[in-house]
Amino acid sequence: MKEWIKFALLAAVFLLFYFAPVSGPAAVTSLAAGLALLQEYARLHVLTCLVPAFFIAGSIAVYVKKDAVLKLLGPTAKKIIAYPVATVSGGILAVCSCTILPLFTGIYKRGAGIGPAAAFLFTGPAINVTAILLTGSVLGWDFAIGRLVAAMVISILAGLFLAFVFREHDKKNSNSDFVAGMSNDLPYSNITIALFLLLQLGVLVVFGLALEPALKGAVVALLIAAVLVIVLVKFQKEHTLEWIRETWDLMKKILPYLFVGVFVAGTIEVIVPQAFITRLVGENTLLSNAIASTFGAFMYFATLTEVPIIQKLMALGMGRGPALTLFLTGNALSLPSMIVLFRVMGKKQAAAYILTIMILSAFAGILFGELL
Amino acid sequence: MIIRILGNGCSKCKAVERRLLALRLDQGLSFELQKVTDLDEIVKYGVMMTPGLVLDGTLRSVGTVPNDNQLLSWIKETSA
Repeated sequence: MKEWIKFALLAAVFLLFYFAPVSGPAAVTSLAAGLALLQEYARLHVLTCLVPAFFIAGSIAVYVKKDAVLKLLGPTAKKIIAYPVATVSGGILAVCSCTILPLFTGIYKRGAGIGPAAAFLFTGPAINVTAILLTGSVLGWDFAIGRLVAAMVISILAGLFLAFVFREHDKKNSNSDFVAGMSNDLPYSNITIALFLLLQLGVLVVFGLALEPALKGAVVALLIAAVLVIVLVKFQKEHTLEWIRETWDLMKKILPYLFVGVFVAGTIEVIVPQAFITRLVGENTLLSNAIASTFGAFMYFATLTEVPIIQKLMALGMGRGPALTLFLTGNALSLPSMIVLFRVMGKKQAAAYILTIMILSAFAGILFGELL
Repeated sequence: MIIRILGNGCSKCKAVERRLLALRLDQGLSFELQKVTDLDEIVKYGVMMTPGLVLDGTLRSVGTVPNDNQLLSWIKETSA
């Protein structure tokens, strides 16, 4: 972070507290609302959704073999395969947003080219397991799936469009080498790993079902026991430790920001006037989706914080269409990410990518709002 | 010997670094450790999953934290 940005942030915080009406009723109710939402998340989502989701993400990072997927994104890969692989591979390759950038740069500069790279960059953050699972748990599965499908379709369209516009670029880098593999081979069968992942997913799903508490507890305990059996009998200690370290690392990186985000989202409900939101993004029109798209593009949401923020904006009357639009651009774009994009891709490519994403996201929102 | 860790600050990159530093201390090895954080530089090695580990110009591993035995055998191979 540059020094002047730090200074500007500090000055902003200072001015905020200097002028904020802290003893007024608005301050008290908004604080209370923030705390109430924190409690809601702590009680409803942390143990039953987030913790299992982090363990699943950790397992994907450690146990899922990535070489085969990476090969499909190399310079010699067929385009027709590279695009769909690029859209879904984010879920396997990029459990943490910090791994997205090297992968993107690699695919863009030495691999399958700008199209698949753009597709990967767009779906990477949206398709990650924790984000989908938390969206489903908080806002409902229609939203989680809508978000997933829209992101995949848009990423392919945007990728194809960019590959067409910048087809000259890709000619330059088609014959460089590309190291896909060389990661340690894990001595486990695919079935073991699949079972391991499914059992953990099972824990999360059963938590979400409306069952009798006693029955639910028993099933969950059974599933966890099965996971432990695999860990103790099948897996080597070294890999288990890596799994735990990876999981803990994700939690450390994401949870503090998420809690801050949840608190802020709670206060929004009190601070932001309802009429303002309904007028701006209440209806599913072109304008309201465009507003949501632009806002999401510049606003930075730390991983997962988009969920509570959109939840509360919807409570204030934001339409379902604009909400989906905000999910799409809010995740994939932000001011900091745009700056990086300009540096890595060059001005023209980056501007084209950002605009394409914004326009396509707005239309996806309209469609979602109309149909579902 | 020069060992380069390719990675932009991910947790696994730090783990590899810690492991190498500990090995150097425990086993009395001598090598220079360089950290490569520039994305373009990393991608030049063809590495996309960080950390990448390069011993005297040879890429040895990608995307994982190799264990001590593995690291030692690579170091032996390279210095031989």
